[in-house]
Amino acid sequence: MSKQVIFNLPVKDLEKSKAFFASLGFGFNPKFSNERATNVVIADGISAMLTTEDFFRSLIDKPVVQAKEANEVIICLMCETRDEVAGLVEKAVAAGGRAPHPLEDHGFMVTQGFEDLDGHLWNLVWMAPQD
Amino acid sequence: MNKQIFVNLPVKDLDKSKAFFSALGYGFNPQFTNESAACMVIAEGSIYAMLLTEAFFKTFVDKPIVQAKEATEVLLCLSCESRDEVDSMVAKAIAAGGRTPRAPQDHGFMYGHAFEDLDGHIWELVWMAPQQA
Repeated sequence: MSKQVIFNLPVKDLEKSKAFFASLGFGFNPKFSNERATNVVIADGISAMLTTEDFFRSLIDKPVVQAKEANEVIICLMCETRDEVAGLVEKAVAAGGRAPHPLEDHGFMVTQGFEDLDGHLWNLVWMAPQD
Repeated sequence: MNKQIFVNLPVKDLDKSKAFFSALGYGFNPQFTNESAACMVIAEGSIYAMLLTEAFFKTFVDKPIVQAKEATEVLLCLSCESRDEVDSMVAKAIAAGGRTPRAPQDHGFMYGHAFEDLDGHIWELVWMAPQQA
């Protein structure tokens, strides 16, 4: 089986977060979802686990970061087209997220990020095919 | 959406972090590695971690950087091929200066353990019996 990554992120309101990521077009894997966690499918082998703060806290022996105040991680996803970058950020903002920076267009590369409802940072990048 | 992800994490000492993850068996992509960042290959073509100096990480965010030894925003969970791989990765992490926050969890069909890297970022390792995955 190929390598899989799941990144667990704490969220304050699981239902609102599900609605947020659904409006961005992501699907969910019900097999790994329950009332404490929802598995968001990013790509084959790559998923996010949105976890209630209580459940997340039970997994660690340190405080849970309030991501609107400080960040430990930036999740960077590659997009297939230039338009997908701006399109996803637009949907995120419409769904209650925030775009901390304007779109950067370097010609061969386009990038912009958004913050989700809890302040977790997502960065979207399109790069021109190299060949 | 493409099938590639880059998980960006701030580190205090890039050379020490590169040595730590090298000791765990990871390689780096020189094309995306310089004095401010190192691109660690977790699965070629799909999963990468970008280790960024705190100064460089700071240029991407308009909020303070979490000190991951003190608080946690993310748990990075990687699948393993076997129970032995889980154990051996944790053993290598501890030998290289990391720590394990808890005892392994054995559910029979699923076996998991975790380590903290030099900066306190938490990595979970999970093996699942093939029919469960």
